[in-house]
Amino acid sequence: MLKTQITNLKNEAIGEILETNEVEVLEEIRAKFLGRAGKLNLLTKEIPNLAPEERKDIGNLIAETKRTIEDALRQAGEKIEKKSGEREEFLDVTAPAIHPVEGHLHLITETIQEIYQIFANLGFHRVRYPEVEWDWYSFGGLNFPENHPARDEWETFFVENLENKKFGKGLLTPHTSSGQLREMEQTKPPIRMINISKCYRRQSDVSHAPMFFQFESLVVDKGINITHLKGTLDYFAKNFFGPGRKTRIRPFHFQFTEPSFEVDVSCGLCEGKGCRFCKEGWLELGGAGMVHPNVLKNGGIDPEIYSGFASGFGVERCLMMKSGLSIDDIRYLYTNDFRFLKQF
Amino acid sequence: MDIKIPDHWLREIIETKVTPEKIKEYLTLCGQSVNRLTKEGDDFVYEVEVTTNRPDCLSVYGIGRELAAILPQFGIPAVLKKIPSLKIKNNSSGLPLSIKISQKTLCPRFTALIFDNVKIKPSPKFVEERLATAGIRSLNNVIDISNYLMLELGQPMHTFDYDKILKHKMILRESKEGESVITLDGQERKLPVGTIVIEDGEGRLIDLCGIMGAKNSETDEKTQRVLLFVQTYDPVKIRRTCQELGFRTEAASRFEKGVDPEGVIPSMERANFLFREWCGANEGSELFDIYPNPYQEKTVSVSLEQINKLTGLEIDLEKAEEILASLGFKTKINFTDKLISAKVPHFRAGDITIPEDLIEEIARIYGYFNLPNILPPLPDKIESSANKNFDFEYKMKTALKYWGFTETMSYSLVSEELLKKTYEDPRKLLKISNPLSSDMVFLRASLIPSLLEIIAKNNPFGQIFEMANVYISKGRENLPDESLELTIATTKDSFLELKGIVKSLLRELSINNLEMTIDDRIEHVFLEKTISLYLGDCNIGVMGQIRPEILKNMGVKNPVWITDIEIKRLLHFAGGSKKYVPLPKYPPIIEDLSFELPPKIFIGQIIDEIKKENPLIKIVELLDSFEKTRTFRLSYQSNEKNLNNEEVEKIRKKIIDKVAKKFSGTLKS
Repeated sequence: MLKTQITNLKNEAIGEILETNEVEVLEEIRAKFLGRAGKLNLLTKEIPNLAPEERKDIGNLIAETKRTIEDALRQAGEKIEKKSGEREEFLDVTAPAIHPVEGHLHLITETIQEIYQIFANLGFHRVRYPEVEWDWYSFGGLNFPENHPARDEWETFFVENLENKKFGKGLLTPHTSSGQLREMEQTKPPIRMINISKCYRRQSDVSHAPMFFQFESLVVDKGINITHLKGTLDYFAKNFFGPGRKTRIRPFHFQFTEPSFEVDVSCGLCEGKGCRFCKEGWLELGGAGMVHPNVLKNGGIDPEIYSGFASGFGVERCLMMKSGLSIDDIRYLYTNDFRFLKQF
Repeated sequence: MDIKIPDHWLREIIETKVTPEKIKEYLTLCGQSVNRLTKEGDDFVYEVEVTTNRPDCLSVYGIGRELAAILPQFGIPAVLKKIPSLKIKNNSSGLPLSIKISQKTLCPRFTALIFDNVKIKPSPKFVEERLATAGIRSLNNVIDISNYLMLELGQPMHTFDYDKILKHKMILRESKEGESVITLDGQERKLPVGTIVIEDGEGRLIDLCGIMGAKNSETDEKTQRVLLFVQTYDPVKIRRTCQELGFRTEAASRFEKGVDPEGVIPSMERANFLFREWCGANEGSELFDIYPNPYQEKTVSVSLEQINKLTGLEIDLEKAEEILASLGFKTKINFTDKLISAKVPHFRAGDITIPEDLIEEIARIYGYFNLPNILPPLPDKIESSANKNFDFEYKMKTALKYWGFTETMSYSLVSEELLKKTYEDPRKLLKISNPLSSDMVFLRASLIPSLLEIIAKNNPFGQIFEMANVYISKGRENLPDESLELTIATTKDSFLELKGIVKSLLRELSINNLEMTIDDRIEHVFLEKTISLYLGDCNIGVMGQIRPEILKNMGVKNPVWITDIEIKRLLHFAGGSKKYVPLPKYPPIIEDLSFELPPKIFIGQIIDEIKKENPLIKIVELLDSFEKTRTFRLSYQSNEKNLNNEEVEKIRKKIIDKVAKKFSGTLKS
């Protein structure tokens, strides 16, 4: 009987505490339940009337109830206090934020990642082949005869005291196409390679850095033809530059492809109408072509059975064309001025 | 090679009504690219980029010939015109010239014709203008004819004052040691041995063949008799001389790409016409023509199947044949074998040799833009794991970025000065034999100097990293070892923070067993003390502080901490599978123990030893360090039950004993 009364009293008290938002009301509740003439004290007075074996139990229960109510009062008090405090605090949302320490990825890294992902979507596997390469892989095996004028367009750095009887002189590869033969030696068709590497040429001006990056695609399989080259490069351009862009190929010449092309993408600025930024609506992306049968042979692949296409584009060029960043000197990418690096 | 073609001139070669804009567009789509079309006065000028395989296009005539094949494909009538020329009478009784050629390979075709009664005067205005467009200065009507025809027909020629060839004798030979010649531009040129030259019989060199004439035999205002010289030369010889002299002329650029010997006589006849028209001259000699191995017409065949296989297009045989015929091939169809055999025109002899060459001709004139874009069918096998390591590399870079590091990219080539400042031995590095500047001579064997250079440039602080190859020589006959390294450099003077970065980085790759030891055996070039990083037995890199003398040389004022990790070795361990440990059902007992320890005790070892004491010890952390005291927070936990005080006390006692015995530590109460 008494137990139930005590429990009801506790619940009643807590109910009232939870309902109020005012400190004054809390004080009234305290007086009502815990005060000298409070409800709990009245019940305490009943204890002497109980059977001796019950007294201890009830005593404990009353003490516990008292603690519970006190706790509830304290917590409610703190809550009200905190709320009223908050209401008065001035929150300045325009104040400078406290940032985590910010680092930066290099623009080239981000661009390479984007390029690689697009080709990975088509099942290309990424590779990286030697930057210091033999003449054979960079020229000879790519169908460049010794001392051929076509070599002049690849202004090549040579390495001292590096020469192999079989493979010729050691040099810094001036293009990622050296990876074509390397890939053919390692992988039998079907081949779907994307080789993204550093290349080097003896050229330094606002639009040429002596070290730069290229990405080379190579597909070799049965029945690969020009429409596949067009399809793949168009897929790349639409995914990299935007779905509205168009591509075209123009006849060109490379020793290691036949036929050879230059690939253009429509200008994003004028949408192909022609503007200051482009050539009559088109921007040059890079070279491509159907792998020359001699190159397939040099890579140990039978050109009677297999055919393939390859493309080699500049990463920096794609970056500049996509971002619209008018970086006035491409070499800034490699001078590592923090004021530059931290912009990206 | 870029050439400039004035539109008016082009229309003397080809009859068509199409606008210059359309010529530019169609030539670009199907032939040689027109990089620019500009209006100059009342004329237009095309800037055409001619590829090295098409020397036949290095002239107004050559471009006209291309257009005559291309334009009709777009439904535009275009006809190649006949340019005025004059047959050579070939008077055998004329002026004498004795010719000797030392080796016939030097000069596949040698022709000369002497003109008499030449009146030297300025050229007509339009000639001056056309030469000026190509960047050639007009000199007099005779010299201008040779330059004009080089531009018009692609055949370089040279004119001598016949009377300055003292014995009227020409000996074409290779130069000998120590010979030199003063060329038309007044420069004395010391000739490399093996240069093709002409001697006049008096021991005087009168021509640096295919490159530039000699001063001693040039035509001038007094010249009356002119020897016109139209040749072809061994392209490789011309090219080698140009490279060795570091000197190249318009003529040489054409000769080294190959000039068509069959074009020589038409050029001679055109010149004959112009000498009469512009100089009032007449033929004064027979035509000297030495041509030991005349061009043999060759035939290349291609099957319909080959065409369709490579282009992905169904082109019919007649269409393919029509295209080839329009380009000057003499064609024949074999309908049973579906084969076209094509006799290659002499002006294309150099670049058409295999069926693929014919396919290119057919496809480009047909129009690449007529081909659809199709993705290649996916092969049966694709290795999806192939790209894993690249993904790890990117993950590491991204993690470092979010932890406040900035990625740099510097040149792989470094200067000798940088090597000196960092005490590297240049003899151990690979060296470029033809560097562009002294800044970029050696292939770096470490990224550390480059990163120090970057910090120095951006003083005073920096937290940077670079991932790039370094190059370790493996002797003359082998390519160097190219090792991808991740190097992190920071001016934050905290070993523990850098250690934390490396450990967290490895944890991103699911690698949790990194050990670090101070390696006294290794004298590192750049580091004061070498801290080696190990995964099991495998050394994956080093960490340490840059030697102060190097920092001083580099002008870096703050201490710099470095870590240098070999990516290939690291990734060997990367990507272990994640493990699931069931969540604990029972609460841990946590307590702090403080020990007083003697100096120079490795904390890591104490933590390891404590952990090893009992499997119920789940976590041991260093909570606090103060003077000699180290406070550890231990967490005891069982998976089977609630631990009680007695159990913990037993373990605790053993820990205290162990620390006392192994590390001479005493528990502080």
